[in-house]
Amino acid sequence: MIAIGLEGSANKLGVGIMMHPDNGSPPQVLANIRHTYVSPPGEGFLPKDTARHHRSWVVKLVKKALKEARVSVRDVDCICFTKGPGMGAPLQSVAVAARMLSLLWGKALVGVNHCVGHIEMGRLITGATNPVVLYVSGGNTQVIAYSSQRYRIFGETLDIAVGNCLDRFARTLHISNDPAPGYNIEQLAKKGRQLVDLPYTVKGMDCSFSGILAAVDGLAATYGLGGKGKDDETDTPVLDADGNGKPTPADLCFSLQETIFSMLVEITERAMAHVGSKEVLIVGGVGCNERLQEMMGIMARDRGGNVHATDERFCIDNGIMIAQAGLLAYKTGFQTPLMDSTCTQRFRTDDVFIKWRG
Amino acid sequence: MSFTLETIHLPHLPSSLPVHVALYRDVQNAPFLRQQLISGNSEFEYALIDASMILSRAHVFSAVFRAVIDYLNKRLKSRNVHSEIVFSFSPTNNIADSFRKFGISDSTKDLLVVKVSVTPEITHDSVAAHLAQSIEGSPVSFTDETLSEIADVAKIKKAYKLGALTSAPAGQVNGASNAEKMRLENSVIGAIALRGAT
Amino acid sequence: MASPEPYTPPPLPTPFTHTTPPPTLLTQGAEAHIYKTTHLTPTTPAALKVRPSKPYRHPILDRRLTRQRILQEARCLVKLVREGVSVPAVFALDWEGQSGDGAWLLMEWIEGVVVRVVFERWEAFMKAGGEGLRGERWRAEEEKVRGLMRGIGAVVGGLHRAGVIHGDLTTSNLILRSGVEGEREREREMEGEVVLIDFGLAAQSSSEEDRAVDLYVLERAFGSTHPRCEMFFGEVLVGYRDSYKGAAVTLKRLQDVRMRGRKRSMIG
Repeated sequence: MIAIGLEGSANKLGVGIMMHPDNGSPPQVLANIRHTYVSPPGEGFLPKDTARHHRSWVVKLVKKALKEARVSVRDVDCICFTKGPGMGAPLQSVAVAARMLSLLWGKALVGVNHCVGHIEMGRLITGATNPVVLYVSGGNTQVIAYSSQRYRIFGETLDIAVGNCLDRFARTLHISNDPAPGYNIEQLAKKGRQLVDLPYTVKGMDCSFSGILAAVDGLAATYGLGGKGKDDETDTPVLDADGNGKPTPADLCFSLQETIFSMLVEITERAMAHVGSKEVLIVGGVGCNERLQEMMGIMARDRGGNVHATDERFCIDNGIMIAQAGLLAYKTGFQTPLMDSTCTQRFRTDDVFIKWRG
Repeated sequence: MSFTLETIHLPHLPSSLPVHVALYRDVQNAPFLRQQLISGNSEFEYALIDASMILSRAHVFSAVFRAVIDYLNKRLKSRNVHSEIVFSFSPTNNIADSFRKFGISDSTKDLLVVKVSVTPEITHDSVAAHLAQSIEGSPVSFTDETLSEIADVAKIKKAYKLGALTSAPAGQVNGASNAEKMRLENSVIGAIALRGAT
Repeated sequence: MASPEPYTPPPLPTPFTHTTPPPTLLTQGAEAHIYKTTHLTPTTPAALKVRPSKPYRHPILDRRLTRQRILQEARCLVKLVREGVSVPAVFALDWEGQSGDGAWLLMEWIEGVVVRVVFERWEAFMKAGGEGLRGERWRAEEEKVRGLMRGIGAVVGGLHRAGVIHGDLTTSNLILRSGVEGEREREREMEGEVVLIDFGLAAQSSSEEDRAVDLYVLERAFGSTHPRCEMFFGEVLVGYRDSYKGAAVTLKRLQDVRMRGRKRSMIG
C-alpha cells in the first residue's frame, strides 16, 4: 500500500510518500521533501504568511514527490494530512490541498495527529519498540508513553513549548532564523563557557519555560545583549560573587540550553522510572539538538538503556511521518470522510485511538 | 556488682568505633564532673548529658550518629566527638546553648554518659573501670522504660520548639498515646538531622 | 546514538560503605536510588535515599539541585511529621555529599504495598472478568476503590493543611501501610493508612495554584496509569474536602488548571 502524507502545521511544508509492501517486508520511504518558510531575524513566522507559503508550494512539492518516488497516481491508496495540532491557517491550507487531491484522484482521506506522526516515524526509523517518547518542538513539549491503545501524556509544558522558548530567545538576540533559530542557538552555545543561574522549574513530570525565558531575556537586557548590535562595551568587567565576568551571548545560549535540557532529561527520566522503560525516543525539531541527545544518552546509559533519535529528515516536521501514521490507521480500516476532514489547532496526542498497536 | 555499661555498634559506623553508654540516677558529684569538663581534663573526655532531656534510646543514638558522621567527615563544630555529641542533641547552631540545655549541670541528678572508642585503648573495660571510680551515682539499665521515667517531656518540647505539639490527654488509649510519643520522638530526631541546614 | 553499555550503579556514599550487611538496592528512581537498610539498631528497618550526582547535568547546576532538593525534602518531611501527616520520619541526612558521591537521606521504613500496585492488581482482576460482576459484589468492589480514593484524598488534604505541596503526586508515591509483609486477601487489599512518600519535588507553599497543580498532577496520573479507576477520582476530592478546610478554594482553582491543561496542545 502507498500513502501520500501532507504536513503543514507550522512553517514547514512537507510531502512524503510511504510504501508498506504487501509481502510484509519493511516499509519504504519513497519520497520525503520539504520546503520551509523562513522569517527575517528578530521575527517569528505569522500564520497568514506561512499559509500563503504553503499554498504556493504544495502543488509543486506533491508533483516533485511523485516524480521522486516513481509512482503514478493510480498506485496511491490514500491521502494523509495533518489534522492538528498546529497553527490554524497553515493547517487549513494543507487540508484544502489534501481534499482537492482526494476528490481529483478518488482516493481516501486520512486525518492524522501531528504528534502521533512524529512518534510513529521515530519508531519506524529507530526500531525502538516501546520507548518513552520526548516530543519537543516549537509548539509541543510532551513526555509520552504507550498504554492501552493510547499514547498517554505523562508530562508536558505548563506554559510555552521548549522550542518556542529557544526561538523567542533567538529573536531577543537577533540570531538568524535560517535554517532554524534553535540550530543557531545550538551552534552559539558551543562557544559558551560560564553557566549563569536561571530558574529551574519542574513540577512532577511537567515543566515550565516562561519564567526561564523571562529571566534570560532579562539578563540579555541587563548586559546589553538584546537587539542587533546593541553591545556597548564597558571597560570595567562586571564580576559576580564567583568571579565570573559579564556573560556573552554564547554564555546565555549555553546556560539556557543546559538548564532547559536538564529539565527535559529529568522529566523523561521520571517517566521512564514510572513506566519501567529503558528506551527513550526523541522526536520533534528540538530533538535534532546534539547536546540534548548527548545528555539524554548519558541519562539512558545510567539507567541501563539507550536513546533513539532521528536526524533532521525525520525530526523536523515532514510529510513522510504523516504518511506513515496515516497508513497505519488506514490499514486498520480508518478513513476520514470528506465531511469530517477539518483541521483543529488543538488535538491532544491521547485523543487518538491507536488501533494498530497491541 | 552488675554494672551496666552498654557497648553498641551502630549500623553504618565503622566497627572500630563502638559506642559505650551508661545511665545513672541519683548522681552526687555532678559539680565535680562538670568541673573536669571545664578544665579540659582529658581523662574525663565524655559526653555527659542531662538524662532528663532524653526521650529514648533512638534519641540518644540519633545524636551520637550525627556526631560520629560529622567526626568521620571532618566537620566537627566543637572540640572533639564527645563535645560534638552534646552539641548534636541541639536543634540550633549555638554550642554554648546546647551545653546549657543538654549537658550536665551542677544540679544534674540523672546522667547519661557516652564514650566513643576513638582510639584502640578505649575499650569497654577501660571505660567501665574509669566510670566506676569517677561517678557517684546508681547505675541503671539504659532502656526506653527507664529513660521515659526520667524524661522531662515539657522541657524537651521547649528545647526543640515543639510546644505546639499537643500531648496526648491522660487516660487516652495506649495506641493513640503511643502514636503521639512516636510523633514527638520523630520530630526531635528530624530536628537533630536537620541542624545547620541553611 | 549512545550504544548501551553495561551499567554499574555508583558506589554508595560514606558511611554506607561500611554497612554490614550492605544496603539492598530496591529501585533506581528518576532522581535517587532507594536502598533498604537498618538504622540505629540492626533490627530497625530504614529507607536510604541516595541522590547520586547526575553526569548529564552541568556540575554547577547538579550541585545546586542536589543540595537544594535533599534539604527541601528533609525539611518538608520533618515539618509533616510534626504536623502528624502520614509520611516517613527523617532519621539522618547529609546534604553536602562528601567526596562527590552523592547526598543521602535516611528515613523510616514504611511497610506496605505501593498504591499503584494495589490498583494494578484490581484492574487486572477487573479485566480478567471482574467487570462482569453485578449487584452486591460489584458494589463491594466499587466501595473498596472509593474508600481507598478517599484515604488518598485525606492524606493529600493533611499535606496541604500543613502548608506543603508534594510536587509529584502519583500512585507510585503512595504506600498503603499494612504493618505486615506479603499479600492480603482480596477483600482487605485496599484497607490501611495511606502514607505519602518521595518528597523529592516537594516544597513549602501557601499558593492556591501550587495546591491545585498538585491535585491536577494526581488526577492526570490516574488518567495515564489507571484508566479503569479514573472514574472514581471524584472520591479523592471528597476525602480532600473532608480533611482540609481550604479545599473549596483549591478545588475551584483546579478547574482553571484543568482548562489550561486542555489548552496545552496549542501552538506555543
